[in-house]
Amino acid sequence: MEIGRFPTVLESIDAAVSVTAFATGDLLFAIGAGDQVVGRTTWCRYPAAALRVPAVGDGLSPNVEAIAARHPDLVVLYRSQMNETAAEQLARLGIPTVTLAQDRLEDIAEAARELGRVSGHKAAGDSIGAAIDALLQRPPPAPLVRVTFVVWDNPPMVIGSGSYLDQLATLAGGSNVFHDLAAASATVSIETIVARNPDVILVLSDSTAPPAYSARREWRAIRAVREGRFIMLPADLFGRPSPTAPAAVAALRHSLEAEARK
Amino acid sequence: MSTVTPLLSVQRVTYRYPDASGDALRDVSLEIRPGEFHAVLGPNGSGKTTLIRVALGLEAPAAGTAEIAGRAAAAWSRRDLARIVGVVAQREDNLFPQQVRETVLLGRYPHLSLWGAERPVDRDAVTRALERCDALGLADRWIWTLSGGEYQRVRLARALAQEPSLLVLDEPTASLDVRHEMELFELVRVLVDGGGLAVLMITHHVNLAARFADRVLLLAGGQTAAQGTPRSVLSRETVERVFAWPVAIESFDGHPQMIPLRQPKEPA
Amino acid sequence: MKRWLGLGALVALALVSAVALGPAHVALSDLPSSAIVRSLRVPRALLALLVGGSLGVAGASLQALVRNPLADPFLLGLSGGAGLGAVLAIALHVAGPWALPLAAFTGALGAMALVYRLGLVGGAQLDPRVLLLAGVAVGAFSGAITTAIVSLAEAADLRNAFLWLWGGLSGASWDTVLVMAVYIPVPLVVLYAAARPLDLLALGEEPATHLGADVEPLKRRVYIAASMLTAAAVAVSGVIGFVGLIVPHITRLVWGHRHRALLPAAFLGGGALLLFADTAARVSVAPRELPVGIVTALVGVPLFAVLLRRWGARG
Repeated sequence: MEIGRFPTVLESIDAAVSVTAFATGDLLFAIGAGDQVVGRTTWCRYPAAALRVPAVGDGLSPNVEAIAARHPDLVVLYRSQMNETAAEQLARLGIPTVTLAQDRLEDIAEAARELGRVSGHKAAGDSIGAAIDALLQRPPPAPLVRVTFVVWDNPPMVIGSGSYLDQLATLAGGSNVFHDLAAASATVSIETIVARNPDVILVLSDSTAPPAYSARREWRAIRAVREGRFIMLPADLFGRPSPTAPAAVAALRHSLEAEARK
Repeated sequence: MSTVTPLLSVQRVTYRYPDASGDALRDVSLEIRPGEFHAVLGPNGSGKTTLIRVALGLEAPAAGTAEIAGRAAAAWSRRDLARIVGVVAQREDNLFPQQVRETVLLGRYPHLSLWGAERPVDRDAVTRALERCDALGLADRWIWTLSGGEYQRVRLARALAQEPSLLVLDEPTASLDVRHEMELFELVRVLVDGGGLAVLMITHHVNLAARFADRVLLLAGGQTAAQGTPRSVLSRETVERVFAWPVAIESFDGHPQMIPLRQPKEPA
Repeated sequence: MKRWLGLGALVALALVSAVALGPAHVALSDLPSSAIVRSLRVPRALLALLVGGSLGVAGASLQALVRNPLADPFLLGLSGGAGLGAVLAIALHVAGPWALPLAAFTGALGAMALVYRLGLVGGAQLDPRVLLLAGVAVGAFSGAITTAIVSLAEAADLRNAFLWLWGGLSGASWDTVLVMAVYIPVPLVVLYAAARPLDLLALGEEPATHLGADVEPLKRRVYIAASMLTAAAVAVSGVIGFVGLIVPHITRLVWGHRHRALLPAAFLGGGALLLFADTAARVSVAPRELPVGIVTALVGVPLFAVLLRRWGARG
């Protein structure tokens, strides 16, 4: 069995450990396989039911022993360098492991279908996959508003087209002024943001208060900051690519339409 | 007895280093006046360098007093003291490459104001100091190109650039060959005779000290073994006791010279 | 005299290019009126000058103090302390736009005090070799604590804090420039006043004492003033390496070792270097921006190798 590929021989699993910081936790719950999840990362908090599953460490450097102790039939890992090592170690212990890419929405569709198949919830998995495919295949609406995501202020970091956030924005009618950057995120100068002049700044935050940097003089050179045009994106919908993507797009569209009317 | 205030006056000082088992100095006295060349002799560890440190106020004696120009040594600020006393220490580890003139100019520090630049009078003092040490020809050389003897002369020039009244030299000929040793002692004698300088020199070279110095202090185990003119100090009994080795004392040019005797070991 | 004119011209060129060039295209005729230039580029250029200058002077002073030409202001554990302070501020959700710089500054000062205390041997004497060792130890220790906090934490915020530590002038504003401009003159004056005694210290502590320098107070003053400059630099711009190490060497090649000339030259030289490096950081991969600490390393390391060869040849 190859590491990293979904095992085709495995017809069904009774126990799965999800060791990704992102969607797999709620993906597995979304397809109805919640009872089969026997381990999660400390960061998987959605849905609320996931909290009842024992944590086996954080998703960055998997605790192989803790995972093995749960006797899983399948371990799901986020695809990364560190996790390749963990995957090999688990394979040596004879535990089937698969690593998933989870940067963009199409990754979620793929993951939903495969997880659905191996966990015996094929229908649910296919349905989620199909919903996301449909979302992605819809022709994107005409851009209403020019946006940028600012995820950190010192140094200033924005989101590029390599990230699911860019996809969500496009599908909701927002035009990411940094769409030309291929990376998922990148450091830029404040003056670049000023020059590209977005209408609205999108912020990942659960609070309604404007971000701290908006009070700083150098940030107020950006028109959107001066005018206080922020849209706050709550973490449960926007914090990571997830099956809730259609709901996220709808919520964002609603906010963008409100901004466009101003 | 001269009524001139001694430049350096150490009276019955006793000093012990922290955590040491014995005194480094016990009841030692020394007075130096202008125009006098004093040599301090003694075996290793007899307290010669300690005496200098106490005399210059760098260490506080447990007993006795140390005065420079009539004032307590410890009461002098470092800068003011440097205008009176020029010291050529045993070792110097010059980190950055310099030219000779630059390094001698450092000797003018005690005369410079905090913010002021070097003045013509300072440069003249440097030139004069180099002349007196017969080192003017080296003025533009880089110090790492100098021989040991040349470098010693440059260090001496730096001390002279301070325009001191008292020159303190700690083993200045330690690694020099015969020629440079003689040149240095002759130079010091000239500075004393011609310039009225006072000199205090620590040296291992008993015989040259006997020929050039006016007065000698012989230390042993931190105490004064003998003090006075070379002739009165360097008697056979005294020298043998202090250095724990049989010697003969011969006269050369009117000065006592120490000749260590052979002591072949019996074959085992 | 010509050397100073040349250096002045270099600084002027650095300032002009920092203001005229950038990822956003601003026509020359629009420069004076552009908001980008006035509120972003000019303060950033001035901050680069002040920070680079501070690091240059701190580096030159510390190299004289510890009698080691390989000393860098960040060898004394200050960057470790600053990083720890910053990470704690983020972890504890301390609010306010000045929270991060103040926390970094406090952390740096804490490290300075600790290293100073460790560097005191035999009661009151500061031993420069022990100082260096203590600095490395304190830096490593606080770095370890910082890494531990960050790896155990869940928020991406804390990992991003490390990016800040990499060094960058993106936090530049007129406020930051003002704070630096008011703060640095005192340590700079203290160090300039110590310039001549530092020349003496190059001969060794004993010869310096005999030439009239008060060595113990001198070492204390220089250590504290140089650390204060470095702490401020870290607080506003993270750890920007190599400036404090390289600039003194380059300026020594032209101005020699006399600190009364070397220190001002190191200030201007450090400012010019950081200005050029920051311009390169902003422009070379536009619209993205490189951390300026990377640029100074990329420029600094080959420069340093060249210098080492010349130095080695000198013996």
